[in-house]
This record gives sequence, structure tokens and C-alpha cells, in this order.
Amino acid sequence: MAKRKHSWTTALKRGAVIVAALISFLPIFWLFSTSLKPYDEWAEWPPVWITERPTLQNYRIVFFPEEAREVAAEQEGSLDYKVSGSAWKAFQDSAIISTCATILSVVFGTLAAYSIVRFRTGGENFPFQFLTVRMMPPIAVVVPMVALFSILRLSDTYVGMILAYTAFTLPFSIWMIRSFLEEVPAELEGAAMVHGLSQFRAFLTVTLPLVKGGILATALFIFILNWSEFLFALVLTSGNVITVTLQVANYVSASSGKLYGVQAAMGTISTLPVIFFGYIIQKHLVRGLTFGAVKR
Amino acid sequence: MSEVKLELASLAKSFDEVEAVKGLSLTLRRGEFLSLLGPSGCGKSTTLAMIAGFEEPTGGDILVDGASVLEVPPHRRRIGLVFQDYAVFSRLKVKANLAFGLEAQGVPRRERQRRIAEMAERLELVPILDRRAGGLNMSEMQRVALARVLVTEPQLLLLDEPMSNLDAALRYALRSELKRIQRALEQTVLYVTHDQLEAISLSDRIAVMRLGELQQVGTPEEIYEQPANRFVAEFIGDPPINLVPCEVAVSGREVAVTTALHGPLPLGSGEIAPGPHLLGIRPHDLRLSREAGPNSAETQVRVVENLGAEHVLHLDYGDMLVAATVAPNFAEEGDSLFVSLDPERLHLIDSGSEQVVACRALEGVA
Repeated sequence: MAKRKHSWTTALKRGAVIVAALISFLPIFWLFSTSLKPYDEWAEWPPVWITERPTLQNYRIVFFPEEAREVAAEQEGSLDYKVSGSAWKAFQDSAIISTCATILSVVFGTLAAYSIVRFRTGGENFPFQFLTVRMMPPIAVVVPMVALFSILRLSDTYVGMILAYTAFTLPFSIWMIRSFLEEVPAELEGAAMVHGLSQFRAFLTVTLPLVKGGILATALFIFILNWSEFLFALVLTSGNVITVTLQVANYVSASSGKLYGVQAAMGTISTLPVIFFGYIIQKHLVRGLTFGAVKR
Repeated sequence: MSEVKLELASLAKSFDEVEAVKGLSLTLRRGEFLSLLGPSGCGKSTTLAMIAGFEEPTGGDILVDGASVLEVPPHRRRIGLVFQDYAVFSRLKVKANLAFGLEAQGVPRRERQRRIAEMAERLELVPILDRRAGGLNMSEMQRVALARVLVTEPQLLLLDEPMSNLDAALRYALRSELKRIQRALEQTVLYVTHDQLEAISLSDRIAVMRLGELQQVGTPEEIYEQPANRFVAEFIGDPPINLVPCEVAVSGREVAVTTALHGPLPLGSGEIAPGPHLLGIRPHDLRLSREAGPNSAETQVRVVENLGAEHVLHLDYGDMLVAATVAPNFAEEGDSLFVSLDPERLHLIDSGSEQVVACRALEGVA
């Protein structure tokens, strides 16, 4: 009887997981499917789930707009593909900004988390105060940010975007890295210190290698946040710096409105690093949490 | 041996409202093995952390070789510390663990290898030098932790309950091992423990602490034979001391005690206030006999506890029970015995101040 009940709950749990997975997967599937559709199927009703006329034209528009226009010219009733911005530059800018902001965020986050864990900096509730910063909707600070950035002449610059992203992901960095550092017993550092290492060197040689996996997981998580950020990119840039998310919004034409297929192609490509890093993270998250250092 | 290595001068530490260590003054001579003994929360580990430099004292001073080390960061104090959990670097090999401190101190490679080889030999670590420290058992890990500290030749070695993770047999083996190494290296050791047996068997002197305050310092014999107060008397000794209420009568300077079964029993002369006191009697100081004798009182055996080498009898004594250690099979439950007290082996404790006001060392004991 008990066994049957057990298998029932197991089946229910699995069912729920499958449903959740399908719901999460559906938009990704739709994105990918749309990226392969010819333009007349983008907004078809009833929807075309899997196109029978797959094309790489959307991807061509993203990466080789000139060539795409030549191909389009040979087709009848083709669309106006005059799009602004370059996907290449968007990827490059996003990579620069996301990488730099991630490194800064993790470096500052590690140092801050260390000081909170070891020296009880800021008192007991300090880490929670950090998190509350994230509970505020980002849109609330957009206007002051725009004003501040224009005064500081940081608008539409790499430095500005990197600073903005660092500031906004720092609470996550501190919070996550703190949880990893708390796993490392203070005694290990103490042992290194009584053996002649300064506190900072003890931190570098003993503690840091133990939380390496966790810090890497944090970095990937922060990178994903940076990579997929849209709001600040939208309001703090004006054409000089362009991120991947902004470039997606650029695929609009005067005569035919939103180029859904092209946006889907750009979206699919820009999702790849996120999926890839997400896959790596789960491995490191588990490892980072099970790195027991002291045998008790 | 007489040279002072470590001096704690009115050392104090408060955490917010809590006074963890209250004005602790203590000296440790070169080559001496001194134990800080007390129940958990008595401030002994905090004291150790202050000496190592992990906690900053809120009062007093710590002097090593006569110079204050308060301004010296932990990594420059050259004070070795073995942690309760050993804090062995589990990802490193045993050899790398031993090399850790020497590398940090910048000891040349050749010298380093010589000292590691020597220490590995001494602590029987040679067969496991190339193993990862994470896979070692507790005894090996403890020896690695000890060797890792000793190889750096610390001027003072602090041990924080290093035996508490070990089972009894291993504890016994490592106790004598530790003593042997300490003697051979003439290492000055401050040993923190809550285990009276460890403290008594290892130490040259014991400092008993309670609630942040030093209760008594002395050789194991002094602590056992002449406890300074009720706490020390009760904390040391297994089975614990019997505390029997008694009435002190004074005529002139002559002191006599009366308990539920005995007395008045002359204790000699001394300046003692008359009235109710507590009489401390160690379980092996109770004289038991099958026949009535002078000053003996009849009692009944209620419980017999078998400890192997000896038995503990729990005897009626007024409205309480007292414990007495005897040879095995001396008596059985329900037996009637005659018990008498040896005036030279009694500890008279003031029930107000809880200080031992008189013991067998009392002046003029008959």
C-alpha cells in the first residue's frame, strides 16, 4: 500500500517536472522554429509550428545583411531588409561589457563577501540589506541613472555600461559568494596564519582554491544576467554602444514592421552562450557546495 | 626550566555584554606543559585565540619572552596552534602539509627537506608522506597537524582539545605519544581541555578556569589534594568528590565537625567560623569496614557500580548517598558496613564563599 502511494507521488512529481520543462522549453522552441521560417509564415494564423520551407535567410540578414539583400532581390515580393546596427558589433560590445562587468562584480563581490564572513563587517543584517537593493524594480532608478550618467559623461560608453552592470549585479555576487565562503572553516585560514601566512595570503592560498568552483558558478550566473539585460542598455546608450538585446530590437523595418524571423534568429544565437553557461553552472554549483574541506 | 616563556597579565576579553575572560594572570615556563582545564564556555579557548592572535584582548597583556605581542599579527608570532578539528589542508599531500609553514617562513629547500624528514620519522609519518591528507584517519590527521606545527619549531605550542575527536584507545596511545614528543623537544605547551584525565596525565601544572576566571593553578597533585574551592574539588576527581553538609563547632581555636553520621570529629586548630559548612570527602578516602570501630557509623550499601578494576559503592549517609571506591567484590547491595572518616583527608568548604577553608593541611592537625 505504502509502496503504491510512493509510486503515485513519484509519478506526480515527474509529471510536474515534465510539464514545467515543456512550459520552459516552448518559447525556446518557438524562437528557434520562427528563426527558420520564411517571412510569410512569421505571423501566420493558425500558427505554423514547424515550417515546411526552412530557410537560413533570417540568419543571413543577421550576419551578412548585404548578401541577404541580394538574395532577397531575386525573390518575388521580398521584404525591405534595411536594418540598423550590426550584429557583429552587438556581440562584440555585449561580450566586452558583460565580461568586464562580470569580472569586476565577482572580484568586488569576493572581497566584500570575505570581509562580511570573516570580519562580520556591517553587522548581522548587512547581507540582507544588499539583497533588498535587488528587490527594488530597476525601472525605479532609470531616470536618476540617466541624469547621473549624462552629468558624468558616462552615457553611451563602455565604462558607463560596465559600471552600471557591476553595480547592479554586485548584490548577487556578494550573496552567492558569501554562501560559499561560509562553508570554509575559519580554522583552515587560522592554520595557515599560525604557519606564517598573512591573512590575505592565507585567503589567497587556502580559502580561494576551495571556493573556486562557487566563484566560477557565480561568475557565469552574473554573466548571464549581464548578457540578457535590456532596460539599462536601452536607456544608457544611444547608438555608440550596442548590446545584443538592443540589436534584437533593431530588427524592425519601415515598411513591414517587426522582422520576427530575424529577431528570432538573433535571439537564438544570443541564447546559445546563456544555455551553454547555464549547463556548466549546474555542474559547478553542485561541486561548489559539496567541497568539504575539514573532515569532521 | 625556570625561565618565563609566556606571561598573561590580567588578560581580559568581552564580547558585547559577555565577559569571556576576566583578568587572567598566568605564567608558563620554558619547556613546561601547562593545561587550561575547565568546562565548555569557561573562556579557555578564547584565551588560546588571544594568545594565537585571532582575538584581540579587551584588557591586559600577553608577553612572550618578556615582550608584549599584542601588536604582532598572528603570522609573525611564531606561536604554533593545533586546532580541535586539526584543519589539515586536505587537498594537499602530507608532505606538502608539513612543508607549508616552512615555505611560508622562507626556509631553504634543503633545510626544509631535512626537517620534514626528521619530523616525519619522529611522528611515524614516513609511510604516508605522499598520501593526500584528506584521506587520512583521525589519528594520522592529528599527527600530521602536530608535525606540521612542530616542524616550524614554534617558540610556544598551543593545543586546542586535540583529543576530543578520538576514541578512548587512541586517546590513550596519543597521550603518551604527545608527552614523549613534548619531553624530547622540550617544547613549551599550553594545552586546552575539558578532560581532567588528560590534564592530570599530561601536565606539569594545571590552571583550572570557570566562567572566565582562574580558579587555581598548581601541579596535578596540588589540584587534586588541595583544591582551592568547591568548583575545583568537584571538577577534579572521578568519581566526583562527596559533598556532605556538616556543622562546625569551635571552642577556643579547636575546630570540630559534625555530620549526619559522624562527629564531633576534631580537625585541629584554625580560624574558622562556626556554623554549617560542606565537607568534601574523596570516594577513596572513606574508610569502610565490616566491624564497628572507633568513630565509625553503620550504613547500608544501596548501589554497586562495577568499574572493572574497582567498584563504587553508593552508601546511605544521612538523607543522601555518598560514593566510596573499594576493591572488587568488597560488598554487595544491601550489605551493612561501618564507615569512618580520616580527619587528614577532609576538605572543609565554606558554604557561602565556596572556598576551601580547611583541609588536611590545616595547621595543627592531630
